[in-house]
Amino acid sequence: MSQSVRTPTLRRAEPDLGDDLGSGLAISPTALGERLWRFFISMQTGLVLILALAVLGLIGTLLVQAPAGLSADQQAYSAWLDALRPKYGGWTGVFDALGFFSIFTSVWFKGIVVLLTTSILSCSVNRAPHLWKQAVHPRTRMSESFYERTPLGATIDAAGTAEEAASEVRVALAARGFRTMRGADAEAGTVGVYADKNRWGPFGTVIAHLSLVSILIGALVGGATGFRNENLAVAVGSTVDVGYGTGLAVNAKSFSDSYYTDGSPSDYSSELVLYRDGKQVAAQTIRVNEPLRYGGVSFYQSFFGAAAAMKVTDPQGKVVFQQGVPLVWSSNDGKRRVGQVDLTDQGLTAYVIGAASGEVDPEIRPGQMMIEVYRSASQGTPIASQIMTQAQPVTIAGLGFTFERERQFTGLIVASDPGAVFIWLGSALLVGGIALVFFFPHRRAWARIRPGTRGSIVQLGAVGRHDVTFESEFRRLVDEMAIALAEPPTA
Amino acid sequence: MSEYSLVAAVLSVVLALACYVLAFAAVRVGGRQRAGMALSRAGAGGGTVTETATPRQGTNAFATYGTLLTYLAVGFLTAALIFRTIYTGHGPFANMYEFSVAFAWGALAMYAYFERRYRQRSLGLIALPIALALLLYAIGIGAENHPLVPALQNNLLLTVHVAVAIVAYGSFTVAFASALLFLSPWRRGLPSHELLDEISYKSVVVGYPFLTLTIVLGAVWAQTAWGSYWTWDPKETASLVTWLIYGSYLHARVVRGWRGERAALLLLLGFAATLFTYFGNLFFGGLHSYSGLGNP
Ligand code: HEM
Repeated sequence: MSQSVRTPTLRRAEPDLGDDLGSGLAISPTALGERLWRFFISMQTGLVLILALAVLGLIGTLLVQAPAGLSADQQAYSAWLDALRPKYGGWTGVFDALGFFSIFTSVWFKGIVVLLTTSILSCSVNRAPHLWKQAVHPRTRMSESFYERTPLGATIDAAGTAEEAASEVRVALAARGFRTMRGADAEAGTVGVYADKNRWGPFGTVIAHLSLVSILIGALVGGATGFRNENLAVAVGSTVDVGYGTGLAVNAKSFSDSYYTDGSPSDYSSELVLYRDGKQVAAQTIRVNEPLRYGGVSFYQSFFGAAAAMKVTDPQGKVVFQQGVPLVWSSNDGKRRVGQVDLTDQGLTAYVIGAASGEVDPEIRPGQMMIEVYRSASQGTPIASQIMTQAQPVTIAGLGFTFERERQFTGLIVASDPGAVFIWLGSALLVGGIALVFFFPHRRAWARIRPGTRGSIVQLGAVGRHDVTFESEFRRLVDEMAIALAEPPTA
Repeated sequence: MSEYSLVAAVLSVVLALACYVLAFAAVRVGGRQRAGMALSRAGAGGGTVTETATPRQGTNAFATYGTLLTYLAVGFLTAALIFRTIYTGHGPFANMYEFSVAFAWGALAMYAYFERRYRQRSLGLIALPIALALLLYAIGIGAENHPLVPALQNNLLLTVHVAVAIVAYGSFTVAFASALLFLSPWRRGLPSHELLDEISYKSVVVGYPFLTLTIVLGAVWAQTAWGSYWTWDPKETASLVTWLIYGSYLHARVVRGWRGERAALLLLLGFAATLFTYFGNLFFGGLHSYSGLGNP
């Protein structure tokens, strides 16, 4: 037996990609279309776009980003910008003009995402037919020069006839998990063998690419049809409308917070009951990491604080308001907490003010709240401002205000994102697609067997994408074949 | 127990590194064949028949000890992480101390894996100091143990999130090491460009799916804790940047002008982004500041 094996000095097979670019589809309606197509399928374009997106991301991490929705409020936005001026100096205006403080909603970002998506789609459309052909109608015969030049090649002398050797070759390949088939014969007397493995692996790239499109669709759908309210405060014992056309109202039956001995929080939970059009539809205790989900709307535990159970009666003694008022705002000095009561029918707005927890307030003592009543139209000075002692009504503008008792409120995030299914579908496909390309590498091998002076001569060549693992597998394969081929078949 | 194991691991890494340096010095002074720094072809699976037959004679004893000590260090660090998990009752994700030890484990374990596979100990000259720096950093900040704030009480998800991240970061450390050797102007005693290029690629092939999974799991966590899978939180964004850079590296390798040196530069950039993402919590704030939730 003589055997010669050629394995590369780690020179990899040229990826058979470059020459195929553009060969997948022949779309050329116009010269411009053709130019655009070439632009979008160019990997150079793709690279520049991916890196450009990375640069925008970097800007987004390095510069403070404006809270979502802030730019809608001119005044608040310029106050926010002014607060940044000490930090960025003269650059503040420049960064703002360039949209760097809202980089992920800027034209740069949107433009690059659109271009990148187009590029990804073009590349996939361009490449998929080629991959399909390679998997389903592989090229089963290679030229003489392939066997001479391939970095993974071997020549083995076999004892049996060409047909016998071919079946030994196929057995050895099949034992290593290859699918084998008879290759197209080159000339009379020679026998060809083609074998491949993981022929669907390369589709992982297509899957990974399309998954990104799914994620993008998810983001667009979510942006267009979803909503998110990060500040739904519900006082314990009260029911609040969710809004956003959901017809839902949420009631907080209880709230509890617990702490470790060092004072850091260990758990927050709220017992919620959900109503739709007055009928109870769901009830659950939610915690951080355990939201309540109903009909595509989710309720997350987010924050909490003190509330005041308030009752307001009109001059006839009829109750016009009776609810827990969450004291969600903090006074500028942080020493007081403030909640709002809208008495729309009366044209009044009242603020309920309490001492922040842990603060001793000379005016508002424990068991007391302060109330300030304004005419809704005029924000200037209050009609009246009075201290309320628990359960003792005070009269302002003909209305009786009673601070009934202290309560807690639970702060919820309410969110609905119909795009999320595309996000999770896309994520699963992305991970799966990438794993498929990388962990199931496509491998192909060809053999050409011709009669020799004694027995036959087997020429073997393989293409594997640049890796040592395949090289060692190939070498073992050659060793196994050499042993099998050395003996003439006995059967 | 965890601390003892950690100190033992540090000592092992220091000794392993000393061995590698000595072995490498021997290579540069003597011939590379004899020192065993680069058993380049033998057993690496790529050798020709004749090369495979080359006996391993002359392997420098230092190099062998270095490898053994590296394995020992991985063992000690594994023990440290296990003891720590038993002590705290959760995976190593709650603070920078735990995460640094885990990162060091990832760097060492992935290095050990690639050393076994490619027999290139010169990578250790870069990977080991990185692991050592992480361990010393961990020891420097100390092993405080605060109970978990509610948002972090998602043991399984977060443990997997971090475990997966560690594999990715460890692989990227190896990719960085071989990219650095690739770009090194002093070639004596170093593996060939082709081999280094392949090691880089292979380590990214391991790291990239894991980084992708890390980001996806992070999104799942954000969704269950805050109801939003993506908030452009600086740490999230930084990991996206890292992901994009390694993505560009994978594509760069099939573009002619981008092979070799430019691809290696992308790997340096990628590792810089990895470290930036990793140390990011120190100055970003945001959801990953581990501050948990409080009053608004
Ligand atoms: C962030 C966006 C992208 C992601 C996550 C992504 C993902 C991937 C992955 C994981 C691979 C397999 C890589 C490998 O086998 O080494 C791949 C290959 C490929 N990608 Fe992308 N890709 C992206 C953007 C693009 C763009 C914009 C283009 C077109 C310009 C493109 C064209 C290709 C092509 C042609 C291949 C096959 C390369 C080969 O056969 O070796 N990709 N992509």
